[in-house]
Amino acid sequence: MNVGQQIINGLVLGHSFALVAIGWTVLLGVARLVNFAHGQMYMLGAFVTWAAIAEFGLPYALAIPFTMLVGIAVGFLMQRVMLQLTLKQDLVSIMIVTLGFGHVLHGVAALVFGSTGQILDTPFSTRNVYWNDLWFTWQDVAIVVVTILVFVALKLVLDRTRLGRLARMVAEDPQLALLAGIDVRKVYFGVFAFQGAAVALAGAMIGPRTPILTSMGFDEVIMTFVVVVLGGIGSVWGSYIAGISLGLFTAFFGALVSPAYTTPAAFLVLIAVLVLRPGGLAAKPGGGH
Amino acid sequence: MNIGLQVAMLAVLAVAGYFLPALFGGSGAVYSAFVLIAIFAVMSYGLDLIVSDLGEVSLAHPVFFAAGAYATGIISVRLGLGPIATLVASIGVAMLLAGVVGLITLRLREFVFSLVTYAVSVVALTLAENWAFLGGSDGLTGIPLFKLDLGVASYRAVTDKDLWPVAYVMLLGVLWIVRAFRRSRLGKAAMTVHLNPRLATMSGIDPQRTRLMVFLVSAPITAAAGWLYAYQRAYISADVLSPYFLILMLTAVVIVGRGLLFAPLIGVALILAQEKFMSFGGYVDRIILGTALILTLSFLPGGLYEAVRALIARLGPAGAKQDTQIEEGATECR
Repeated sequence: MNVGQQIINGLVLGHSFALVAIGWTVLLGVARLVNFAHGQMYMLGAFVTWAAIAEFGLPYALAIPFTMLVGIAVGFLMQRVMLQLTLKQDLVSIMIVTLGFGHVLHGVAALVFGSTGQILDTPFSTRNVYWNDLWFTWQDVAIVVVTILVFVALKLVLDRTRLGRLARMVAEDPQLALLAGIDVRKVYFGVFAFQGAAVALAGAMIGPRTPILTSMGFDEVIMTFVVVVLGGIGSVWGSYIAGISLGLFTAFFGALVSPAYTTPAAFLVLIAVLVLRPGGLAAKPGGGH
Repeated sequence: MNIGLQVAMLAVLAVAGYFLPALFGGSGAVYSAFVLIAIFAVMSYGLDLIVSDLGEVSLAHPVFFAAGAYATGIISVRLGLGPIATLVASIGVAMLLAGVVGLITLRLREFVFSLVTYAVSVVALTLAENWAFLGGSDGLTGIPLFKLDLGVASYRAVTDKDLWPVAYVMLLGVLWIVRAFRRSRLGKAAMTVHLNPRLATMSGIDPQRTRLMVFLVSAPITAAAGWLYAYQRAYISADVLSPYFLILMLTAVVIVGRGLLFAPLIGVALILAQEKFMSFGGYVDRIILGTALILTLSFLPGGLYEAVRALIARLGPAGAKQDTQIEEGATECR
């Protein structure tokens, strides 16, 4: 095994996991909501980017913002439909509704884009870098750079701006935020729009690494759960570190044991974490405010 | 209504239900649809106990369905045993899995519980696709015909018409179990844990034990559906773990109304009627099913049952009074 190569694979994979998960982290941290359609929104991001490039002939640099706009629209639509449930904090119904959205998105994507796989080629993904016996593509570099930029920007916005303060206040105590005259609905819409944009960006960036399929959303979302739970629910830096750790774990597990069983292995890590510190994770968000 | 009359009515309903496929023309397609409705309804009743009674969303139920189907496939193909042995094995495997999943998730609530049970489904799908013991990506083929040998008499099901009595008896049995569960001490304990955890603790109910017990009752019901599904299809692959079954179960449980005895059965019947007789192709059907699920939960919290009741009340003599109530409901939706 080439250890250096696996470290590179792990780091790229880790940044991918973190980028896919960031929308969820914010959604869970600020709005205390879960979105099971996240994986399908990622799939949609990859396919919209593909269509923008291959069908409409847009350059990659324009396809990305276009995809993010579609992501925002989907997030906005979802939140619009679920508004009453969100305000009531009816978590059980919200979870089932987002599963329904995932199912619909899969159906729509299969109808529009066909059920065969596609290859999403970008100017970066076709250019390789060879360095001694190590290999990666410029797309991999772009993923790492974009992920770091998104995380830094998000951290700055949450910590330093009025918008961030509002979001943290709603996260801390929605009732109190409402009393303080904050329009909680707007914050919820904003959070859903961010989640849609972020996961669409992830689809546009990470989609080129593998062939894309309309059915890929169902298991794609598992790694996001692991990152979010491992990183501490709602924690931005926690998600970043958890993403990198999971990426390295997955790369080495795939190389040393079996690439087919990386999802079960990641799941075992999740279970181990939940068994080791069950109370802190289960009690904090959702129910108790 | 007194108990005796209720039981008599249920008995009449049960006998009448058996002749429904014949009433709808009795063609092969009709019998197939009815057998599938019975199987998927039984599958959904397992989940119904978790969602309606325990108030949690288990996304691991496709695993119990698959456990029944795979146990049946493996035992009938590789060991050549009959339906009774495969049913016992299906129930046993499902209870074992439910015990493991139940213990892992014992202290998890709400969305963390759902996340972990969802992950269980995805992991099971990965295993089913890759593990040679389960047939890998090819699945298990050549599951023998359903043939019940009771010494003096034997019953052999060649077509779905022959399978209908089996499916129907299973459905009646499960309806009886669900009804009995809701009247049992465990069923009442589950409801108390769901609606008022504090009261439950004060009444000496152990919430964790209750959850585990309900899981152990619920999983074999869903697995029994997988058992008959294996015979009906004569072939089992990782498809049984696809998200379709999960969405089907969830929609069936919520669309008519949570906690009503016949709701999942009617829900499954509505969904299958659309898919079998008014289909617009797989992808559009998928969109229809997902949309039905979304709209029900977002705009009809009481399900179709409440909506129809409101509509009837509106059309009835007391219409004027009900109007305002519906208007209010509509405003809420906007």
